[in-house]
Amino acid sequence: MKKPRIGVYVCHCGENIAGAVDVKKVREFAEKLPDVVVARDYLFMCSDPGQELIKKDIRDGLVDRVVVASCTPKTHEPIFRRACEAEGLNKYYLEMANIRDQCSWPHWHEKEKATEKAKQLVASAVAKARLLKPLEDMFVELNQDVLVIGGGIAGIFAALDIGNAGYRVYLVEKNPSIGGNMAKLDKTFPTNDCSSCILTPLMVDVANHPNIELLTYSEVESVEGTVGKFRVKVRKKQTWVDWEKCTGCGACLDACPPKAMVPNEFNEGLDTRGAIYIPFPQAVPRKAVIDIDACIKCGGREFGEAPRITRDGKEILAPCEKACPTGACSRTEPKNPEGEVVELEVGAIIVATGYRVMEKTHFKELAAHSPNVITALQMERLISATGPTEGKLIIPADIPKYKAWKKKGRGEDIELRSPEVITFISCVGSRSRKYHTYCSRVCCMYMLKQAMQLKESYPDLEIYISFIDVRAAGKDFDEYYMRCKELGVKIIRGRAGGIQELPDGRLLVRSYDSDIGKPVEIVSDLVVLATAIEPSSSELARKLGISLGVEGFLREKHTKLYPVDTLREGIFICGCAQGPKDIPDSVAQAKAAASSAMALLSKGKMRVEPLIAEVDMEKCSGCGICAPLCPYKAITIEHDGKRRAEINATLCKGCGVCAAECPSKAIDLHGFTFEQILSQIEVFAEFEEA
Amino acid sequence: MEEHVPAVINLTYLWKKEREELGEKVIETIKGFGAEGIEYCMQCGACSSICPLATTGFEWYNRRLIKAIDFGIRDELFDDVTPWACVACNRCVEVCPRNVNPFEVMFAMRRLMIEELAVPMTAVQALKSLYDHGHAVYTTGREARKKVGLPEKPPTTDSDEKALEELRVLLRNTKLPELGLFPMS
Repeated sequence: MKKPRIGVYVCHCGENIAGAVDVKKVREFAEKLPDVVVARDYLFMCSDPGQELIKKDIRDGLVDRVVVASCTPKTHEPIFRRACEAEGLNKYYLEMANIRDQCSWPHWHEKEKATEKAKQLVASAVAKARLLKPLEDMFVELNQDVLVIGGGIAGIFAALDIGNAGYRVYLVEKNPSIGGNMAKLDKTFPTNDCSSCILTPLMVDVANHPNIELLTYSEVESVEGTVGKFRVKVRKKQTWVDWEKCTGCGACLDACPPKAMVPNEFNEGLDTRGAIYIPFPQAVPRKAVIDIDACIKCGGREFGEAPRITRDGKEILAPCEKACPTGACSRTEPKNPEGEVVELEVGAIIVATGYRVMEKTHFKELAAHSPNVITALQMERLISATGPTEGKLIIPADIPKYKAWKKKGRGEDIELRSPEVITFISCVGSRSRKYHTYCSRVCCMYMLKQAMQLKESYPDLEIYISFIDVRAAGKDFDEYYMRCKELGVKIIRGRAGGIQELPDGRLLVRSYDSDIGKPVEIVSDLVVLATAIEPSSSELARKLGISLGVEGFLREKHTKLYPVDTLREGIFICGCAQGPKDIPDSVAQAKAAASSAMALLSKGKMRVEPLIAEVDMEKCSGCGICAPLCPYKAITIEHDGKRRAEINATLCKGCGVCAAECPSKAIDLHGFTFEQILSQIEVFAEFEEA
Repeated sequence: MEEHVPAVINLTYLWKKEREELGEKVIETIKGFGAEGIEYCMQCGACSSICPLATTGFEWYNRRLIKAIDFGIRDELFDDVTPWACVACNRCVEVCPRNVNPFEVMFAMRRLMIEELAVPMTAVQALKSLYDHGHAVYTTGREARKKVGLPEKPPTTDSDEKALEELRVLLRNTKLPELGLFPMS
């Protein structure tokens, strides 16, 4: 065999490496290593002139193996591989020694030891380079369908963009309707458009889109496979209403008895809904579901049981069934607690599972027990025309009274208390070491928005906002803040620390104004807490195999450069699932995630590194140890009708678990063969002895 | 310095007073007295960083005064001398990023205090001195001047009967005579 001719290229990385490692000494050391024909150093090896050094040596026939001692292969291997390829050298003849991230940076204050370690890393890379083999890239077919999880504004935009581009999209939403939290908002900053007016047409577009299949009241059960071929199981919850027949007329809603009433999620618990319900008037799809946990089973009839028959042969139906004009509602339908499982295969997944609003119950010091202390999302419902009071501003304690009056047909006049003074309190649970250290980002702006809306409708209202500081850092946001101030909204600069409920139900808010430097107090009829935005459940992330940040939001691959990618290829994230953000940012990220998914899938096939495992059929005994260990289910114990391990090249990700476990050493991992790894270890052992 | 703004500011009392007693928001009153830009204040504090009042320990300098007015505080400040100590150096106007013109707020406060007959004694003395001598702060030192061979009175309005009379005419045409703080015959 021809002796390899290795070139070693040591990078200074400006001062990043040279600041701790004596690059010249490393280069001189490398020159003496076996099979090394040339060693060079340069300020930035990844720059054009740096790459040219490598290219020229290849071109001149001086080297046929390249070792670059620089930074991480994660970011720079593709660059140096391209340089090799450009000169006709197989790109797998490149080996990198990471003497920056794994040497100069962590050992910045131990310069001599850092230089010694750099030498070892280079020697080990050279040892491996001597044994490198040329490899060829592979291409795998991709499924071009996309799964979008979450039907809020981010999921809706991701689905629409991908659907419009001509790809098939499955949109999975756990609630009976899409729309997410945005559907609950009355108006949206900084332009004060009506949320429903801009959202509802998009929801309808999704429902009518020929390329989008909507799976509401459904949850992702499991995800297997890898990029290009994810196999997903989606569980559709049982609705007890045949959606083919349901027209969304709402006749069943009034039939449900008062005893079955539970807090209404859509109105954030400010009023109640029946066990059979349509989430909100503009729901898409506008279909009813029966909440089996809330249902009181009228007539003592269990779900799945046929109705009893009267003596004259008539069925005794439940009130909801009786009310339904199309026969869609049927509690006779066999009970299926597991729901219906739908299996999908998709090439990419976009996660847009949004957020939850932190509940007020944590904040006893802020009189959380008072009905007149509400969260900001409850305030949205209170001022919304589709809210519990049809947008009539009354104190929340009077909502039940209002509801009863409305039910009676709005007969005699009733006295409902309207607030005279409203106080908003910022950073409730955010920027806190007790709850969430992050800033929830949207609170300053929505408090200003609600204050502005209220002040415009009710100019006589006294409105105070107790801020730690006003964070209005978006396009047109500060102007919005100033407009709000000009309307007479008063800013207390300091966060309220206590609320005392007065005997008449009003609330004494104690805050502090750091502008004046004194405590302030204000008797309010209504207090709005800007409670933190919290990540939604972490369960899904586990199923998807993607990671979470410390605070529980989905973690992106790189904050700046890959903000919608995850460490799992083919899975993208967007919207508040990734971190608190407003509607413009959620939409922008959704569109970014859609475009990243399409960039991945558009060619229909994908280049795969050949760094995968292969079985030597001569050595394989067919023991089968490897198969269950493979996290990608790439191994089957059958080859040409014999009991042998066979690895599916498309599924294999090159993790090496099988190779490490094989008792016959029949499996080898290309690019990380036994021989190569042992040669590297030997180098370190030699250093140890010396 | 005496201070009448209470330790805890009761905002409920203040807004009710504006509504029920004064019939107008204090900030509107101050705007009416010439400080039209007050509502653009974002409490950045640039004005106070260079204000001679703030740096010499007066309590209700520009930034705090503006916020107090925004909250509806006014009578509680009537005994405060800060607005009268303003030397009209104009630095706050130069540095204000939002064209609030804090100096105008100080002067609007003076006008409000005059209107309400709430002028601190120090201010009365200064005004009297201005009327009598043409100087708000009138330095004694005539002996010293004489000793070094200077005329007893400085060559300003003080020694110019005609100029002093012109100034008195001007002052007699303001609201001062109505107030009767000191004789202005």
